[in-house]
Amino acid sequence: MEFKLEAHRIVSISLGKIYNSRVQRGGIKLHKNLLVSLVLRSARQVYLSDPCPGLYLAGHPGTPAPPQQLGEPAAGPPAGWGEPPPPAARSAWPEPEPQPERPAVPEVLRTGDAETAAAVTGTGDALQGGEGEAAEAAWRRVEGPRETAAGGAGGPAGGSDVFPEGPRPARRPCGCPPGDEDTLSAAPRMDCCHTPRPAGDQPPATPPVCPRKRGAAGVGSGPAGCPAPGSTPLKKPRRNLEEQSGGAAVAAEEEEMETGNVANLISIFGSSFSGLLRKSPGGGREEAEGEETGPEATEPGQICCDKPVLRDINPWSTAIVAF
Amino acid sequence: MATLMATLQYIISTVEFNHSGELLATGDKGGRVVIFQQEQENKIQSHSRGEYNVYSTFQSHEPEFDYLKSLEIEEKINKIRWLPQKNAAQFLLSTNDKTIKLWKISERDKRPEGYNLKEEDGRYRDPTTVTTLRVPVFRPMDLMVEASPRRIFANAHTYHINSISINSDYETYLSADDLRINLWHLEITDRSFNIVDIKPANMEELTEVITAAEFHPNSCNTFVYSSSKGTIRLCDMRASALCDRHSKLFEEPEDPSNRSFFSEIISSISDVKFSHSGRYMMTRDYLSVKIWDLNMENRPVETYQVHEYLRSKLCSLYENDCIFDKFECCWNGSDSVVMTGSYNNFFRMFDRNTKRDITLEASRENNKPRTVLKPRKVCASGKRKKDEISVDSLDFNKKILHTAWHPKENIIAVATTNNLYIFQDKVN
Repeated sequence: MEFKLEAHRIVSISLGKIYNSRVQRGGIKLHKNLLVSLVLRSARQVYLSDPCPGLYLAGHPGTPAPPQQLGEPAAGPPAGWGEPPPPAARSAWPEPEPQPERPAVPEVLRTGDAETAAAVTGTGDALQGGEGEAAEAAWRRVEGPRETAAGGAGGPAGGSDVFPEGPRPARRPCGCPPGDEDTLSAAPRMDCCHTPRPAGDQPPATPPVCPRKRGAAGVGSGPAGCPAPGSTPLKKPRRNLEEQSGGAAVAAEEEEMETGNVANLISIFGSSFSGLLRKSPGGGREEAEGEETGPEATEPGQICCDKPVLRDINPWSTAIVAF
Repeated sequence: MATLMATLQYIISTVEFNHSGELLATGDKGGRVVIFQQEQENKIQSHSRGEYNVYSTFQSHEPEFDYLKSLEIEEKINKIRWLPQKNAAQFLLSTNDKTIKLWKISERDKRPEGYNLKEEDGRYRDPTTVTTLRVPVFRPMDLMVEASPRRIFANAHTYHINSISINSDYETYLSADDLRINLWHLEITDRSFNIVDIKPANMEELTEVITAAEFHPNSCNTFVYSSSKGTIRLCDMRASALCDRHSKLFEEPEDPSNRSFFSEIISSISDVKFSHSGRYMMTRDYLSVKIWDLNMENRPVETYQVHEYLRSKLCSLYENDCIFDKFECCWNGSDSVVMTGSYNNFFRMFDRNTKRDITLEASRENNKPRTVLKPRKVCASGKRKKDEISVDSLDFNKKILHTAWHPKENIIAVATTNNLYIFQDKVN
């Protein structure tokens, strides 16, 4: 289970790096993006091979420490559900490995988002709304680095800008009405949150509409292009982004990562994800409907790196689109 | 140790001594090259080694824009390599991501005076006022060092150039980018030969890139290149025109107990350097330095851990991008000591004979001349002794990526972010 959280987190961070690399001066660095894509692939494999796709959502304590966390002392006793974890002490080092049950919230964070997170951390009692805000804030934090990194991302992100770990697990991403908390299972929550879309739809097809509970602090720094807090915050940015280049696919899919629906996607569309599970880079292509690949393939200029990197992304984004 | 500390305007991106060690060149992120020259030894104070002073500064590369690909080409100097001196002038190659330039650095300490048709300030005289003729003579002037670009080798690389290396024939050199290596003749700029090409037919199948390449110091037909997968390939140009098939493959099997998400990243080789003798080569990956005997391909003969305490921090280092830092390494003149950089402005030296190693810090506090550098120690875990530094208090923004060792003397150049330090070992 820790593998899955860690893998999820690493996937999110990796996608953020790939996205940031597109706006870096000097063009995309093939070497770095190749390495990031390898990490992405490893994390994805771990994520998909974990035998308990739904259990991680319930956050069972006492799960064994993953072997990947080499040398890292076992995390302290996991916080119980419903308790906001104490803000991590600020240090020169970000928490190297997440605590168990801590959500896979990426820690590629900027100081500007600290307030959002802090505010989110504070809302301990209003769990439902808090989680919705937190997940959304987490999502915005993921988006945040892309904006702030324009023109020169690459400086150490974690260094001294650590702030408290994302406080909420990804299990309640869209602020679904209470009552689900104790009945989580592998069964999809899509029926409470999402309108299923036919597989292979064009990207602008009906995106999932997730009513999100908004608190005062929940909408601090939204991504560029995101409308003012409104009723369907997911809809517009997703559509706008998806119609752009492959980077948009990354954005859309990061958002989806944070909503934690990936596990559900996998369990539902088992066979459709065989492309994801294949090791070879060419695996996902056959599964893809191709609409996501169009914009990326035709984007001019960025020839050095797109394909091997997006090779890994396409199966994800296509699957999500299909869902 | 006497020290020099020079602060450059931009981040230093490469450091290289010339063949005699008299000159030290630095390249920076702003495309500039600064050359330092060692003072000639003072005969009176015979044990005072020459200090290094700024000799020449010039703008080597400018930012460019590739309109076809909508890409900006950075002016950052990736590598500088000196040519051996053949006449009074010095020559060096400097490269950014796309273009290599051959620069001539020459001194001018005399100028002609006494022209018939020109005044000393350059204005032309009225010919009718000339009544006698004289022969212009050279008179001494203040030393002026001029740098002029003599060759520009452009448009041969689709990907980012990471290495240049001059052949021992002193006529040809190689340039390597992520997927290809080209062979040039120093006199010919409009064409080069491609000698290695690892670009797959389908870019989606790309699994590794070239990270560094170097010619053998003595065999003009031999070169090596390292990859992001931790392998080194030795190629012989006599075997075929395209050296895609290696003559030797150096690879150490991975230790399965160390497997993690980041195993591949930390095994990527960031630098490869032949020993002066040509018998060994050294590779640097993220956590270690390895010495390989060219006669043994299956494992290195020596491995030195640079900062093993970082192995448990790889995830954080991945997040803050430090795991992608490309550290260089270098040999001393006699191949008995190797040096590489680390974080917190630490650099490490490993003595191959005594197996002793030392960690030193390049910082302003240590910068008084004649200060002996104090060895540092990092405490990985547990109780921290006095004077030790704990891993958590290391500053990962202060990294030493570039170091160079004088080819003959115990003088080293160490580059922190913006500062260049020169340390000399006073043997007397």
